[in-house]
Amino acid sequence: MSERVDLSVDFAGLRLANPVFTASGTCGYADELGDFMDVNCLGGFTTKSITLKPRKGNPTPRIVETDAGMLNAIGLANIGLERFIEEKLPVLERMTPAVFVNVAGETIGEYVAVAERLATEQAVAGIELNISCPNVEKGGISFGTEPAQVREITAAVKKAAANRLLMVKLSPSVTDIAAIARAAVESGADALSLINTFTAMVVDIETRRPVLANRTGGLSGPAIKPIAVHLVNKVYREVTKDTGTPILGMGGIRTASDAIEFILAGASAVAIGTWSFIDPGCAAKIVEGLRSYCAAKDIANISKLVGSLEAGRNLAH
Amino acid sequence: MSQISSSSKKGVFSATVLANRQIGQRFHRLRLEFSADGARAFAQFKPGQFTQVDLSSAALPPEQDTPADLLDASRRELLLRRPFSFADVTAEGDKTFAELLYCVVGPATLRMTTLSSGDRVSIIGPLGNGFRILGDKKTALLVVGGMGAPPLQHLAKTLTSEHAEIEVVAFAGAKAASELPFEGRLDEISQQLGFSLPEFTKYGINSIVATDDGSAGYRGLVTDRLQQWLDEKSGLTPDSVIIYSCGPEAMLAKVAEIARDKGIDCQVSMERRMACGIGLCQSCAVECRVDDSSQTTYKLCCEDGPVFDGREVVFV
Ligand SMILES: Cc1cc2nc3c(=O)[nH]c(=O)nc-3n(C[C@H](O)[C@H](O)[C@H](O)COP(=O)(O)OP(=O)(O)OC[C@H]3O[C@@H](n4cnc5c(N)ncnc54)[C@H](O)[C@@H]3O)c2cc1C
Ligand SMILES: Cc1cc2nc3c(=O)[nH]c(=O)nc-3n(C[C@H](O)[C@H](O)[C@H](O)COP(=O)(O)O)c2cc1C
Ligand code: FES
Repeated sequence: MSERVDLSVDFAGLRLANPVFTASGTCGYADELGDFMDVNCLGGFTTKSITLKPRKGNPTPRIVETDAGMLNAIGLANIGLERFIEEKLPVLERMTPAVFVNVAGETIGEYVAVAERLATEQAVAGIELNISCPNVEKGGISFGTEPAQVREITAAVKKAAANRLLMVKLSPSVTDIAAIARAAVESGADALSLINTFTAMVVDIETRRPVLANRTGGLSGPAIKPIAVHLVNKVYREVTKDTGTPILGMGGIRTASDAIEFILAGASAVAIGTWSFIDPGCAAKIVEGLRSYCAAKDIANISKLVGSLEAGRNLAH
Repeated sequence: MSQISSSSKKGVFSATVLANRQIGQRFHRLRLEFSADGARAFAQFKPGQFTQVDLSSAALPPEQDTPADLLDASRRELLLRRPFSFADVTAEGDKTFAELLYCVVGPATLRMTTLSSGDRVSIIGPLGNGFRILGDKKTALLVVGGMGAPPLQHLAKTLTSEHAEIEVVAFAGAKAASELPFEGRLDEISQQLGFSLPEFTKYGINSIVATDDGSAGYRGLVTDRLQQWLDEKSGLTPDSVIIYSCGPEAMLAKVAEIARDKGIDCQVSMERRMACGIGLCQSCAVECRVDDSSQTTYKLCCEDGPVFDGREVVFV
């Protein structure tokens, strides 16, 4: 039966071999994972955030472990658009997963410049817009926390890269994530990805200072999974179920069971982040786990599961 | 891809614990055996390379066996693997044995103490770049600070077994005798004769010990001993000497400065907090000079290091 399971999904018109991605910033530029799994078994791949100019990133410590999670403040360290296109894109081009290049910037102009350039590259299936960065022109407030700014940046990037899929990545550190999701979809987002990390802090009680050089960092890992499932479900119910916009769900996924929770809650595809650090081959295992689950449940096509959460009480517990 | 190249690349391997022996107040040695794929991959393990060890499924020691200052830390859950180098690696037939020398400092190393013979651990490796052995050197100085000992013990073995023409001298320093991770004979006569650290003596290498409080060897900093030793050997040509060092960053900075002033090559093994160890996360940045300019860039400790040229690192 398991050979007959169809794991392929339609993702905003793109046919993916299966719904499993690796998450931005947790999988290098793909070649690093090659020793641990066949990267071609993935449905999709999202790169580290790319900016117009190279960025050195923050001083260390850049990470600290927390219970069932970790904080990171890498500071968008990346090699910049030109070197990315020259050195990394050719590697990605040879792979079968759909490549989404994650784009970040401090001004709308920067986002637009990067998106315009990427849209001319054959290897790029889509752009993942990281709007959790501070907008320097608007006094540093994050692009992703105000619906008006989300509309402006989404529309501008959509126009600059009209021939590529635009996926907007949402921050959970907002009052109403559905309002942000709606703003993105109404301004041209073809897909949404959620969630990015939660802003958090760990204190060293000996030195009375935050552990991270950046003071705060983003919380990821198993600790955030139940919140992420809830937020995916909220955005699905309140926004994307009606518009048909696919969601790339993520946050703390370790196993196929975790991935299925996201899919039932409304995600069309899922991304594996932090867990790749502990088990760099886990994304491949999750693809196989999804296949076994579908086989055991007689589900011919995994896309039937998307958003199929039942109404009513759960009497199994 | 050929069988040989694929078997020596890095991967996730399982190792079996053969022994876990306490060698000091906070120091232990874990003896591991790799078989099959792991044995092939780790037979190539170079001194200064490292591994990422998963200790999340090892048990905590009972509360009464936990040092009081680590009780709070022992409550923390483990998520990430931890980076460790090896103090010794031996390949015998289709098996490879490794010695992991560790200091108990937090939740992961506390759990490591409960591993016992027959237990299995998941290890990612071999990772990073080890020490580079340069053919034109006649003298190699190994400078150890506290827990920096493991990769230099391994290097001592490789140097003496594969480069017998190089004369090796070991320097080891710590705050106090109890913080030296050696099964040493710290009596005065052994120290004066340079025999106090059997981990080096067994390779025919003399060692010079220094502690801040004078509880073993010379009182004072190991870097002062190094400086003095170099000053006394004025006959050495700087080009023929190399310093290899691993230890606290402040010590490495001083070692690199001494080497630079004397015009001696120097390689330092750096430590950073690592989430992945394999180049995925960019957490392990080490600030490095760009050639001889005033510009700097961040390199990755896990992929570009952990061994760096002493001249290139901007120490914190
Ligand atoms: C390349 C490399 C090789 C290493 N080899 C060895 C070895 O052979 N033997 C050995 O005992 N240890 C080695 N270490 C250090 C070892 O990784 C840490 O001691 C271990 O992660 C501690 O884990 P823990 O959970 O017990 O304590 P934690 O609670 O994680 O750490 C205890 C304390 O040490 C600090 N710390 C933890 N990791 C680092 C780090 N990487 N750099 C600076 N400070 C840190 C923490 O801030 C904390 O204060 C190595 C580290 C690196 C990067
Ligand atoms: C070390 C690290 C670096 C990250 N870098 C980026 C990044 O550059 N851009 C981005 O949009 N998200 C980044 N993320 C967020 C992840 O893509 C993901 O949204 C988040 O970690 C939640 O998933 P997880 O719990 O499975 O890790 C990063 C996460 C981690 C842990
Ligand atoms: S530890 Fe992840 S890149 Fe070095």
